[in-house]
Amino acid sequence: MLSNSIWRFRLSIIPGSLISFLLLLLAFGIFYTLFLNSGFENFSSVLITSRVQGLIKFTLFQAFLSTLLSVFIGTLLAWSLAHQNSFRGRDFLIALLSSSLVLPTLIVVFGIITILGNNGWINRSLLYLFNFSFENSIYGLGGILVAHVYLNASFAARSLLHIFESIPKERYKLAKSLNFSTYRRFALIEFPAIKLSLKSISSTIFLLCFTSFAIVLTLGGSPSYNTLEVAIYEAVRLDFDIPLALKLALIQLSITMFLVFLSSNFNIGISNIKTSSNQIPWKEPKKLQFFQLIVISIFTILFILPLISIFVDGFGANFIKILSDKLFLKSLITSLVIATFSSIFTVVFALLISDARRNFNINYRVKKTKLSSFINILISFSGNIYLAIPSLILGLGFFLLSQKFQAPLLLWSLGAILCANILMSLPFALSIIYPTMQKVALRYDKLSFSLNLNGSKRWLYCEWPYLKSSVAYVFALSFCLSLGDLGVVALFGSNEITTLPWYLYQLMGSYQTKDSAGVALILLVLTLSVFIFLPKVFKNVANR
Amino acid sequence: MRKILFFILLFSTLIQAQTDKPTLIIYTYDSFTASWGPAPKVKEAFEKVCNCNLEFVSTSSAIGTLRKIQLEGANTKADILLGLDKSSAGIARKTNLFMKHGLDTSKLSLPVKWTDNEFLPYDYGYFAFVYDTNRDKKIPHSFEELLKMPKSFKIIIQDPRSSTPGLGLLLWIKKVYGDKAGEYWKKLSPHILTVTKGWSEAYGLFLKGEANMVLSYTTSPAYHIIAEKKTNYKTADFKEGHYGQVEVSAILKSSKHKKLAKQFLEFTMSETFANIIPTTNWSYPVVKTKKGLPKGFDSLHTPSKMLLIDDEKLEKNRKKYINEWLNAIK
Repeated sequence: MLSNSIWRFRLSIIPGSLISFLLLLLAFGIFYTLFLNSGFENFSSVLITSRVQGLIKFTLFQAFLSTLLSVFIGTLLAWSLAHQNSFRGRDFLIALLSSSLVLPTLIVVFGIITILGNNGWINRSLLYLFNFSFENSIYGLGGILVAHVYLNASFAARSLLHIFESIPKERYKLAKSLNFSTYRRFALIEFPAIKLSLKSISSTIFLLCFTSFAIVLTLGGSPSYNTLEVAIYEAVRLDFDIPLALKLALIQLSITMFLVFLSSNFNIGISNIKTSSNQIPWKEPKKLQFFQLIVISIFTILFILPLISIFVDGFGANFIKILSDKLFLKSLITSLVIATFSSIFTVVFALLISDARRNFNINYRVKKTKLSSFINILISFSGNIYLAIPSLILGLGFFLLSQKFQAPLLLWSLGAILCANILMSLPFALSIIYPTMQKVALRYDKLSFSLNLNGSKRWLYCEWPYLKSSVAYVFALSFCLSLGDLGVVALFGSNEITTLPWYLYQLMGSYQTKDSAGVALILLVLTLSVFIFLPKVFKNVANR
Repeated sequence: MRKILFFILLFSTLIQAQTDKPTLIIYTYDSFTASWGPAPKVKEAFEKVCNCNLEFVSTSSAIGTLRKIQLEGANTKADILLGLDKSSAGIARKTNLFMKHGLDTSKLSLPVKWTDNEFLPYDYGYFAFVYDTNRDKKIPHSFEELLKMPKSFKIIIQDPRSSTPGLGLLLWIKKVYGDKAGEYWKKLSPHILTVTKGWSEAYGLFLKGEANMVLSYTTSPAYHIIAEKKTNYKTADFKEGHYGQVEVSAILKSSKHKKLAKQFLEFTMSETFANIIPTTNWSYPVVKTKKGLPKGFDSLHTPSKMLLIDDEKLEKNRKKYINEWLNAIK
């Protein structure tokens, strides 16, 4: 039975599964080479100290709180934006929402500190106006939460907004005619629609916070607020204790596996797909409208201020000097080329993996058995490898692999950067594309089977119209993520490849803070333009 | 894909174009090789006298470079490892990968006598707390005075597990307080605003005005004086003396160009090299030169005493010191 149905959907199953398989193989290869390198006898003797246990507990706790807050605020903001769809500057705001996530984390941290720090804008204005200021408010658990919410709530809002907007307007009309209260409208119409995405977004955010490094270290304040990554860093760099590093990495791996297991069984009955782009002819009640606008304005200010501070700080830089530095131009070109390739690969991989995975989640395609659920989990795990493997281990693994299979270092470095960037973008890409693809399948499978619509025609007429905006977003997101990524290669060095964030860190590491702020500004402008223009380009191409 | 292939071809032809001379490969940390760091000038000067190619390979930290060499094992292309701090040299010595350089070190002019015959210093400095005179007039002049500062007086330090200055402060306090170091850290911890992963983050936060002092080097104000014409950054003079950072290089036993490598190490004790160091690596050269230090360095405060902990003792107790620190300041 199972093999029959798999055969029937082979064209949709095989390419995506193959990619998943290769990704899992890569993860396995990395762990296996590390294991070989660490020796068998040593492995069992390494103990996990109480300090590491403390780290894990704290990390789980902070990730849980961060996720809860991010998802709550993200939902609130997306809901408000969905109902306020015609104010000025809305497109620009939506583009801004995505940009914080993809900038190098340290830039964002510095942006937040410029606003909320001891000597930040808020404290300075309070001091000026009321002769009062908060002391050290941003350092500690609070700071970690603020930064995580800043990064992830905007991502959640941006992705959920898509879902809110694709709720069929007929349902809202029905709600209106049944005289639903706002709460009932949310509970009966909106929540069921976003539930699926909420689950996948929450688990992605949880993993992001769990593996977050720069934020926890800079804003945490003390070593008791540390992460597993620091312990791994200590094990690799300071003690050269690879067995311990491997063990720590395995802890992260198991936590990721567990989360993926929890969030991979999606059961949805109804499909929420926009059927018409009719505007709802009535407005929200006055009070509600007021509330939504307040929510939007507060969060807009909060989200925009750190970005503005990046602009303000950046203007002090000597742009003539930066732009005439050959190293800057080389880094810029390298970053753009890598970002282009990795975003193309990411989009293709995400589409194929989602296509393969939905077979195992839809009962009439492949009958639900233990095996098919297992494959489903494997596939969804393969998209989250980047979050499952600490970046230092990933870098170490690539390095050891490059030692094993001799090839020019440049080739290895390029391959490793490209690979790491794709892995990094995949969790986001999948959490955006997969829910939509599953809904399309549920809605249009019967029709397209009966019309014998398959292959490229099905993609063109049935999937693409629903996917194009998600694809544009994923493309922009992964492009900018690669642009802002320092790259695992920096850990073990490669002279030939220098990326823009690497260049920025170099400036920061040699007193040239002003110019590094200038490079941060250039990165921000690049990112914003990609987010603003790319979806427009896609829209135009699609309309032709 | 085609673009990448093109780049690969381009780079490989560039590399192949210079294979007629022997190539000396130096592994180091990446701020040394930056275009504004010492590497470009060192390369130019050394290639004039050596009839060879000098190639720098960089990673994000010196200790990372050591680990890279260890992981590469017999395949390593490195001839020289440059950039380890003396405090980490013991880790490198344990690996048994480095040979005795056998050079005459009598011309070195360091605040301490140098006897190590594996690791050769090429620059040095002192750890110190940097402050902004526009912001603070009253600053501490000893570790005791630092404790007595008002509660709102904050410092930013680095994690000794991931940063050289961070480790420097740990050893500094250990040297001054011995068995009571843990106690001192406990009392100091309310003054610590945050512990960052590296120097860059800490210094960046300080320049944003987040804290009164940041752990850095006595030579840091030289950058602000020379490159930015700003004289408001100064270092606090601690009467206990300042812990020293001595950066060293060493030749790998596996090197195929040992003679050339020795020539390079000798070169790091030359006046030419000494003249490059101050304004590229912002630290003191290891020999005195006729030209002397650049203007701006004269206004820096020079500590009365350079504190250092013996390598062997340090290596034995490193883990203990770090655990003591972790337990004290959580």
